Amino acid sequence: MAAGNLTWTAAPRGHVVALTGARSFLGANLVGLLEEDDRVRRVVALDVEPPHVRGPKTRAYALDLTDPKADARLAEVLAAERVDTLVHLAFLASPSYATAWAHELESVGTRHAMVAARHAEVRKVVLWSQTILYGAHPTNPNFLTERHPLRASRKEAFFADKVEAEAEVSRFGSRIPGSVVTILRTAPLLGPTVENYLTRYLSHRLVPTMMGFDPLLQFVHEIDALAAFKLAVDRDFPGVFNIVADGVLPLTTVIKLAGRIALPIPHPIAETATSLGWMAQIADAPPSFLKYLRFLCVADGKKAWDTMGFRPAYTTREALLEFSSAQRLRDVHLLHEPTA
Amino acid sequence: MTPSFDEDELGPESLSPSVVDGDPGRTGQAEDETEEAEVEAPRSRAPLSEAEVAAKIRSLEARLDSMIGHADEAHAPTVPAPIVPPAPPSRLSTRNVTAEADATVFDTARELLSSEFYLRKWGRLGMRNRSEEVDDFGFDPVYEQRVQPLFDFLYERYFRVECEGVTGIPAEGRCLLVANHSGTLPYDGMMIKTAVKREHPQHRDVRWLAEDFLFHFPFLGSFTNRIGAVRACQENAERLLQQESLTAVFPEGVKGIGKLFRERYQLQRFGRGGFIRLSLRTRTPIIPVAVVGAEETNPMLFRIDYLSRALGIPYIPVTPTFPLLGPLGLLPLPTKWRIHFGELVSFDDYGPEAADDEMLVGRLADQVRESIQSALAAAVRKRASVWLG
Repeated sequence: MAAGNLTWTAAPRGHVVALTGARSFLGANLVGLLEEDDRVRRVVALDVEPPHVRGPKTRAYALDLTDPKADARLAEVLAAERVDTLVHLAFLASPSYATAWAHELESVGTRHAMVAARHAEVRKVVLWSQTILYGAHPTNPNFLTERHPLRASRKEAFFADKVEAEAEVSRFGSRIPGSVVTILRTAPLLGPTVENYLTRYLSHRLVPTMMGFDPLLQFVHEIDALAAFKLAVDRDFPGVFNIVADGVLPLTTVIKLAGRIALPIPHPIAETATSLGWMAQIADAPPSFLKYLRFLCVADGKKAWDTMGFRPAYTTREALLEFSSAQRLRDVHLLHEPTA
Repeated sequence: MTPSFDEDELGPESLSPSVVDGDPGRTGQAEDETEEAEVEAPRSRAPLSEAEVAAKIRSLEARLDSMIGHADEAHAPTVPAPIVPPAPPSRLSTRNVTAEADATVFDTARELLSSEFYLRKWGRLGMRNRSEEVDDFGFDPVYEQRVQPLFDFLYERYFRVECEGVTGIPAEGRCLLVANHSGTLPYDGMMIKTAVKREHPQHRDVRWLAEDFLFHFPFLGSFTNRIGAVRACQENAERLLQQESLTAVFPEGVKGIGKLFRERYQLQRFGRGGFIRLSLRTRTPIIPVAVVGAEETNPMLFRIDYLSRALGIPYIPVTPTFPLLGPLGLLPLPTKWRIHFGELVSFDDYGPEAADDEMLVGRLADQVRESIQSALAAAVRKRASVWLG
């Protein structure tokens, strides 16, 4: 193994890709994808614990981005492994009650990552961001392009931290000449294995909706999201891209296709109930997420289609059906595989 | 240097021969086949006699029958599948009868007792007036079918709409309908849509751009979305026109529907000429539309602005009936309507870059505004009565 490693390090060819958040859904699957790619010389998996998926090319390092010394530690690893591409995925897929910790991880952690990347002269940074940062507003156009400002409520830590992380990464890109920064804003991920606030919302028997509102929703299949990250690692696409599936579905149709029953609640009541529930730590999401059940937040994937050549294999509807077919098995406890 | 050696030396020979040999070969074959087909098609089409066609149809029928037979076999395995059956219709029906006889009362009871049955019923019930897929803007054809009778009633009986010049709308391709806006509650978009759907030879679907404030409210926003309205903004309009749809816009906007009764048929400012810029940029022809009758449906005497800010609506109308009769007062008065579609105006002579010329945009917007205003004035002068036309 040591000899093999020596020959590999001697070889000038091939990328060295580092992933933060390698244990997350996107991270673990990307490690597997990169492991199979001949153009990738080594995969550096960074997370608090080593990922489940590992192969001969993968080297795992323990790294906690909430640690104040994380930047020095990360810079050391990146420099030692001569990493040229950093895929920054250390973000929470669902809102957390521990907002202070989430802030340390997402906002400050991204800062650590960028400081380290600058220090270790990483050429390319790929960042995971989400289209929910555009915010749901009645004044949104039906398809938000990448030029649209991020208008999600900054009072909500879940959004604010991610917006700060995006700003941090763009700053890295503008400061360092020759660097490539790719920000992939994915629509809510849906599929048979992914788990996030959306899958939890759709796994209830009775799904609360806002009475009188039926916004159009858009998802992206987990496989398509992974493919987009793979594309961004393989080739250089500087800029921001919306990674979304084709097509939209009204919320009520989504709930029906998922085999659930919609429970319409007047939105003032729902907001009060959710903020109480969130304070008591029994709600899935803070009340600011209710806006997404009332207003539109759908992004335009044309830029990724044209520039990156990203072709989503699943439409919004197909992604939903994939999710609900797996969810049906989970409902009757026939599917026990761990979700990421 | 081993990896590079591997890639250079072994790569083309050991790794990719399947790709190198397989792919071009296949595509080559495919091309040959298509070429042959193209060459042969006209040759073989001519001498194909009636007998040959009949034989083809028979063989296809036989295949279909055998497929049906297989399906039935899976259902009832005791019956052997005939290989090439002559397909008498009686055979199918007798089998159906036996299958029905097999379904005893117990089966029915079992089905009724299963939760699956009720879930399925519930699911169908929920989707009965919704289609499973909507277009980019949430237009739902099944839902529209359900509410169409209401629009037909309004169109035929209530407003007794008369249409002029609807055939001037092109049979296909993008087109902007620019109309005056009025009536406190915007019925005019729906009536223009219904008019084109009913009277136009191609029965084209009209998408119209609706004001923002509708989408703040429960029910209103999702209802207008499902029947084909789209929130008014440049991005949406551009996308609609790129999809070659017939789009109605009301450049007066909220100021139009908030007109007082004494301002009726006086066109308000036409926004900032956004529709002209849209037309220039996307090279879309414009049809000016004058809607007469709509401006008297809810004669607004006053507007209350100061309370409305807190409620999030542009104004609170005061009509002879509205606050007095409660929500009933919002019902439109049965005025006689006339929708006049004007001549097609094309701005193709100006290039797309003309959209940045503010002066030109203003002048063209005024030109369209004038043409609608004069059509309105002529129609109002011509009509004898608000109620009977």
